[in-house]
Amino acid sequence: MTLIAWREDFTIGLPDVDYEHRELVSMINALLESLGPDTGVPQIVAALGEIHARIALHFALEERDMHQLHYAAAAEHKDDHERLLDDILDIIDTVESPLDYDPEALGDRLSRWFTGHFRTHDARLHRWLVGRS
Amino acid sequence: MTANPRRWLRATFGALEAVCTRVFSPAWNPLVQLGAIGWFFYWVVAVSGVYLYVFFDTGITRAYDTVEALTHAQPWIGGVMRSLHRYASDGLVAVALVHLLREFAFARMKGKRWFGWITGLPVLMLIYVSGITGYWLVWDVLAQYVAVTTAELLDVLPLFGEPISRNFVNQVALSSRFFTLMSFIHIAAPLLLLLFMWIHIHRHAAARIQPARGLGVLVAGSLLGLAIVVPAVSQARANLDQVQATIGLDWFYLPLYPLVQQWGGATVWQLLGGMLLVLGLVPWLPRGTPAPVAKVNLLNCNGCGRCVADCPFGALSLEPRSDWQKYQAEAVVNADRCFSCGLCVGSCPTATPFRSASVFAAGIELPQLPLVTLREQLEKSCAPLAGGDRLVVFACEHAGTLGADLRRNAAVARMPCIGMLPPSFIDFVFSRRLADGVVIAGCGANSCYHRLGQRWTEQRIAGQRDPWLRARVPRERIALSWDADLGAFRKGLASLPVLRLGGRGASKPLPLPAGPRWPVPMRAIGIALLLGAMAGITGLLATSPGWRQLGQDEAVLQLSIRHATATKVECKPLTPQQMAELKPNMRRPVDCPRERWPVYLELERDGQLLYRGTHEPSGLWNDGAATVFRTFRIPAGPQSIVVRMRDSGRASGFDHVHSGTIDLEPGQNFVIEFRSGEGFTWH
Ligand code: HEM
Ligand code: SF4
Ligand code: SF4
Ligand SMILES: [Fe+2]
Ligand SMILES: [Fe+2]
Repeated sequence: MTLIAWREDFTIGLPDVDYEHRELVSMINALLESLGPDTGVPQIVAALGEIHARIALHFALEERDMHQLHYAAAAEHKDDHERLLDDILDIIDTVESPLDYDPEALGDRLSRWFTGHFRTHDARLHRWLVGRS
Repeated sequence: MTANPRRWLRATFGALEAVCTRVFSPAWNPLVQLGAIGWFFYWVVAVSGVYLYVFFDTGITRAYDTVEALTHAQPWIGGVMRSLHRYASDGLVAVALVHLLREFAFARMKGKRWFGWITGLPVLMLIYVSGITGYWLVWDVLAQYVAVTTAELLDVLPLFGEPISRNFVNQVALSSRFFTLMSFIHIAAPLLLLLFMWIHIHRHAAARIQPARGLGVLVAGSLLGLAIVVPAVSQARANLDQVQATIGLDWFYLPLYPLVQQWGGATVWQLLGGMLLVLGLVPWLPRGTPAPVAKVNLLNCNGCGRCVADCPFGALSLEPRSDWQKYQAEAVVNADRCFSCGLCVGSCPTATPFRSASVFAAGIELPQLPLVTLREQLEKSCAPLAGGDRLVVFACEHAGTLGADLRRNAAVARMPCIGMLPPSFIDFVFSRRLADGVVIAGCGANSCYHRLGQRWTEQRIAGQRDPWLRARVPRERIALSWDADLGAFRKGLASLPVLRLGGRGASKPLPLPAGPRWPVPMRAIGIALLLGAMAGITGLLATSPGWRQLGQDEAVLQLSIRHATATKVECKPLTPQQMAELKPNMRRPVDCPRERWPVYLELERDGQLLYRGTHEPSGLWNDGAATVFRTFRIPAGPQSIVVRMRDSGRASGFDHVHSGTIDLEPGQNFVIEFRSGEGFTWH
C-alpha cells in the first residue's frame, strides 16, 4: 500500500488549515497502513467514520477562511468539498458491503480521493493567497 | 397557576395557526410572523407620519385646520396617508398584543429567556405613548377628550406642582405649551420605540423583521383598501367651552380612558401598575430547573464558526484558543443566553453518527443528550422494526403527541429541538438500513419554539445551509411533520423502489417537495375573508362604539382655582439686636414667616352641597398658592349655584361668596374661577 507522502505544496499558508492538512495525512496513512486482507470491517469503518468527521471539520474551517478572505473561487471549492463528503460516505458503504470490499482498491481510491482535492482546489487557494500578499 | 390559561391559549393558537397555514400557506402565515408585521406597520406609520408632518402646523390654533386641509384638499395623497398612519398604528397595537399573547402561550420567555419579554414591555408602552399623543395633535373633540383625561390622569401623580388640568379648563386658559410638548413627544416616542424595537430583537440571530413578501403585499393591500373605504377623518373641532356628549374612541389606544371617568385616575394607575407588575414577573413564574447548557469539546472543535452562525439566541461566540491545539479560535458558550436547544449540535461538522464505535463527541454537545446516546437509542429502538415501512421519527420535545401513523412500526427519537438533528443522522438511518423512511417532527409550520430549528433543518436538507444532507439520501423517504401529508407518506413508503444510496455523483441536494396546499381559488377566498375581517375590525374599533362621556341633558361644572392666600403671620421689622443674633448670611431687616393660610371651599347647587374641601398651600413651607381643580357632571338647565371660600384662617364664616342662577346648555362647560383681586368669576 503506498502511503501519501507529505509534499510542501500541501501547505497553503493558513496556519490552522496547514495544521489540519498534516493531521489528515497522518490519519489516512495510519488507515492505509492498517489495511490488509485480514483487517476487520468494523475497524475500517470506524477509521473511515473518524476521517469523515475530521475532514468535514477541516472543510468547514477552510470554508470559513475562504469566506472571510472573500476568496473568489470559494463556491467551486466548496462544491468540491461537498463532492468529497458524498464520496467518503459511499466509500464507507462499500466497505460495509462484503461483496464490494477490496483492500487494494479501497487504498487507491482513498489516496486519490484525498490528494486530488489537495492538488487542485487547495493548491489554487494557496496560489491565490501567495499572489495576494 | 398559569398552566391552565396557557394551555388553553396554546391550543387556541395552535388551531388558528393550522387554519392560517392552510389558507395562507406556511410561508405567508401571519400568525407566525407577527413581529415582522409589527415592523412593517412601524415603517408604514413612520413614512406616512413624515408626510403628514410636512403639512402639519404644530400651533394649537392652526393644527385642526391643517389636518382638515390635508384630509379634504388632497384626499388621494394626504387623506390616504393620514388613514394609513392611523390604521397602521392600530395594526401595531393589535399585532403587539396578539404577539404578546402568543409568546406567552408558547412560553417563549421563561427564565433565562426573559430578554425578549422584558424588552417587549417598553415597546408596548411606547406604542401607547406614541398613539395617544398622536390623537392629541388633531385637536378635535377626541383630542380634547384625550387632553382632558390625560391631564386628569397625570394630575394623580406627584409630577407637577399644580394640576395641569387647569390648562384645559376653557378656551381662554388654553395655550400652545402642552400642544407643542405633545407634538415633540409624538416624534420622540416613536424614535425611542424604534430603538427599543431594535433592542427587543437584538439578541436574536436572524430575527424576522420583514414579513414574507407575498404577505407584505397582502397586508399593505388591505391597509390601503381600508384607508380608501373608511378614510380617517377628524371629529368636530375642539372647543373647551363645550363637552361633546359622545365621541368616537379608538379602542386600540384608548380602552382605559373611559375607566378614568368611571373609577378615577388613581384606580386606573393602580390597574396599569398592577398589569405591568404581573407582566414584568411573567418570565419568573414557577418553572422547572433549566436544562444544562451546551458544552464545547475542544478536541473536536477547530473554531469553524458554524455553531455560532446557527445559534438562534446569540449564545455562542468564537474566542481565542485556550488549549494547546494550533487553532486560532474556539466556540464559547454564554451560559446565561444558552437555552439548551441544541441547534449548535446539529450544525457542528463533527456531529456525525458515522464516527467510530462507542465513544465520540461532537465539537459541541448537550450534556443531557449526547449524540452517542442518541445513536444508541436509535439503533436499539430500530432493532424490533420489521417490514417495508419501518419508520424513524426524529421528534422535537415540542412536537406534542405523535399521531397513530407515526407510532406504528416506528422508532421515535426525541430531542429538545429538531434543529439539533445533524443531517448525517438521516443518512445514517438509510446507510445502516435502520428504517425505510424518516419523519422529522417539530412544531407547527414556522412556529419553532427555538425559533430557527425548522428553518435550519429545511435549509440543511436543501443544501442551502451547512451541514448539507447528502444528495444521495432519497428525498422521497423523508417527510416534515409541518409540511407533508403524513398519512400518504406512510402508506407510500412500502411501495417505493428499493433503497439505493450512492452513485448520484456530483448532484446537488434537493429540498423536500412542498406539502399539500389548498387549491388557489379556495386560498384566495380564505385570504380575502380573513384579511377583510381583520381590516374591517380595525376600521370599526378605530372609532366605534362611541363613548358617551356625558348624558344628553348634562353639563359640566369645573372648579378651577389657584390662590395665594395671606401669610399666617404678618411681617414685622427686626430690632438691630435681633439682627445681630442671626447668622451673617441670614441677617435681614424684616422677619417674614412664609406659611400661608389654607383655602376652604364649599360649592352648592340648588341648595345641595356638591363639594367641600380644604386645600393646603403648595410648596415645601406651605408658602405657595393653593390649587383646586374639580369637575362635576350636573343636569343642564336653570339652577342656583353658591360658592364660598375661607382663606384667612378664621374659624367660621367666609371671606368670599359668589352666588347666582345660571342656565346651562347641555354639554356646556361652566367654569368657576377665582382671582385674588377680584374674587370669584364664572362663565
Ligand atoms: C409591535 C411591537 C413588537 C414588535 C414589532 C416585536 C417584534 C418581535 C420580533 C421581530 C421578534 C423575533 C421573532 C423571531 O424572529 O423569532 C420578537 C420576539 C419576541 N417578542 Fe416581540 N415585538 C413586539 C412587542 C412585544 C411585546 C409587547 C412583547 C411582550 C411583552 C414581546 C415579546 C416577545 C418575546 C417573548 C419574543 C421571543 C423572544 C425569544 O424568542 O426568546 N414582543 N418580537
Ligand atoms: S461548529 Fe463545532 S467545530 Fe465549529 S466552532 Fe462550533 S463547536 Fe467548534
Ligand atoms: S444549545 Fe441552543 S442556545 Fe445553547 S448554544 Fe447551542 S444553539 Fe445556542
Ligand atoms: Fe479544500
Ligand atoms: Fe484542505
